[in-house]
Amino acid sequence: MVSMRRVIERLLNLLAFLLTTRRPVTADEIRNQVAGYGGSSDEAFHRMFERDKDLLRRIGIPIELTDGNGWGLEQGYLIDPDAYRLPDPGLTDEERAALALATRVVRLGGGPAAPEGLLKLGGYGPGEGSEPLGADLGPAADRLGDLFSAVTRRRKVTFQYRGKERVVAPYGLAHRRGHWYLVGGVGDEVRVFRVDRMESLVVDPEEGTFTRPEGFSLRTAVDAHPWEAGSEEPITARVRFEPDMAWWAARTLHVEHESGPLEVDLPVSNVDAFIGWVLSFDDSAVVVSPPELRDQIVERVEAAIA
Amino acid sequence: MSSRTAFRLTRILAMLPWVIANPGATIEEVRDRFGYKDTEDLARDLDVVFVCGLPGYGPGDLMVAYIDDDEVVVDAADYFGRAPRLSPTEALSMLAAGMAVLSAGLGSPALESAVDKLAATVAPDSDGLAVDVAAEPDLVGPLREAAASHRVVEMTYTSLSRGETTRRAVEPWVVFASLGNWYVTGYCRLAQAERVFRVDRIRDLSVSDDTFDPPAERPEPEVRYTPSEEDVRCRIALAPAARWVLDYYPVDVVSDDGEEVVIEFSASDPSVAARLLLRLGDRARLLDGDEVRSALGDLGKRILARYR
Repeated sequence: MVSMRRVIERLLNLLAFLLTTRRPVTADEIRNQVAGYGGSSDEAFHRMFERDKDLLRRIGIPIELTDGNGWGLEQGYLIDPDAYRLPDPGLTDEERAALALATRVVRLGGGPAAPEGLLKLGGYGPGEGSEPLGADLGPAADRLGDLFSAVTRRRKVTFQYRGKERVVAPYGLAHRRGHWYLVGGVGDEVRVFRVDRMESLVVDPEEGTFTRPEGFSLRTAVDAHPWEAGSEEPITARVRFEPDMAWWAARTLHVEHESGPLEVDLPVSNVDAFIGWVLSFDDSAVVVSPPELRDQIVERVEAAIA
Repeated sequence: MSSRTAFRLTRILAMLPWVIANPGATIEEVRDRFGYKDTEDLARDLDVVFVCGLPGYGPGDLMVAYIDDDEVVVDAADYFGRAPRLSPTEALSMLAAGMAVLSAGLGSPALESAVDKLAATVAPDSDGLAVDVAAEPDLVGPLREAAASHRVVEMTYTSLSRGETTRRAVEPWVVFASLGNWYVTGYCRLAQAERVFRVDRIRDLSVSDDTFDPPAERPEPEVRYTPSEEDVRCRIALAPAARWVLDYYPVDVVSDDGEEVVIEFSASDPSVAARLLLRLGDRARLLDGDEVRSALGDLGKRILARYR
């Protein structure tokens, strides 16, 4: 078992080497010249080198594998010092402290957001002790990172969704009502996908392969209730809420309501989510129209109590 | 490789450029800024740096890093003169955290400009990210103030499990958002026990002049199911299309043949399971649990009556 100290030393030596060579270097050169790799068998070296590259990439270091054209090499590794460097957002101490506080109170992926990003921006800064917001943004932080990078670099993504393969031009990533959504273009349409329902996500390596439609607004695209955020042909449902729960429906739907029952027309593009929501009111909500939707609710309830 | 290794390396690569850019930095500054536990913790990393450098690895090839009296000294490490760029996950988690706090109405001008500046360097030409922690912060402000000043609140509350509406006096301890909803945890004087309330189910709220003694240890800001002896238990078979239930409810898996999964579901009230079963329709079967079966039958019939 190699100690963590040895691993860190090897990684620092590797980085120093790759940042200063100014030309692609082969794996053999690395093995022969960088301290920490010598004296190992072929197999051990390759295993070690693969792991090291993975770790460096994971923390955001852009190691390129070039074909070595013009250098008389078959393949070589290179870190472009300009690509390595953090583009400085120029945060003031006060701004960094505010950001540090936010990352401390918001949980991402079950725990507080990882502090590494803040370290790169110049450290946490002093300032402790505040009320926890305790906002939990849900799991899947790694996949979110991949999707976010696809959004910012305009790379298409492919994934399985409800049993179908989708190829999507990712326009934006949004967190709403406890879930992360990817908003993207499928052909000419803008669709919304729940990130936690995606499977087998693959990000196209090619960058800049699409443009967002004129006037696209992420907020508008996701400022929707779950039954609006579907990919079905939209229908209009009329629902009546009885006085005991009408206040809560009005609050959820952001409509005015004084007292008495409430009747509203709602656009539905995810019938399943809509039925689930209506049933959560027990018998204090009833779908008035269309008849097909009423039938579906009756079917659902009958199947459940059968 | 472990994430501890990744963290330690990232911290070294972030600390070196800062010390280089701030000559004369004190031990204390570096420790606080980069979260080193103590001076030894920092010295350990400096010792590692001291033996690393460029091939040749002679005195002129190695970096210089040591503690001199009260100062941290770093030299001959120009290639580490700038911190590495943010990984997408790091950028996203900071932006998302900042936006979440702003969306909750708890931000500051400094946070707003920090988020703007960061977004501009990470995703220059787009509004590619939007984060809201929860939809309805209306009553959150008064509740947080009441919690901070230890004031008892009076609320009209419609329970999620039974749908009953009651008037309660509550000692609010912690207000938090989780998975899209806001909650307040506190001592309920009506139930005479600790309770979690969903803020959007509070129909109206008034803050009284009555104060309370907060508990010595505040509960974690999370919605947790705490099993109790009086819980109603039942056994449910889920079809593949109903597997999401496993992610949303704290259930015990009894068996799983890859197709159908059988779970043991428990809740404080049979109507919780009944409502879930209604929602699932033919994607779930109740295998066992008389109380739930009878609650399901009642609820189902009441709903069907509205459609006949």
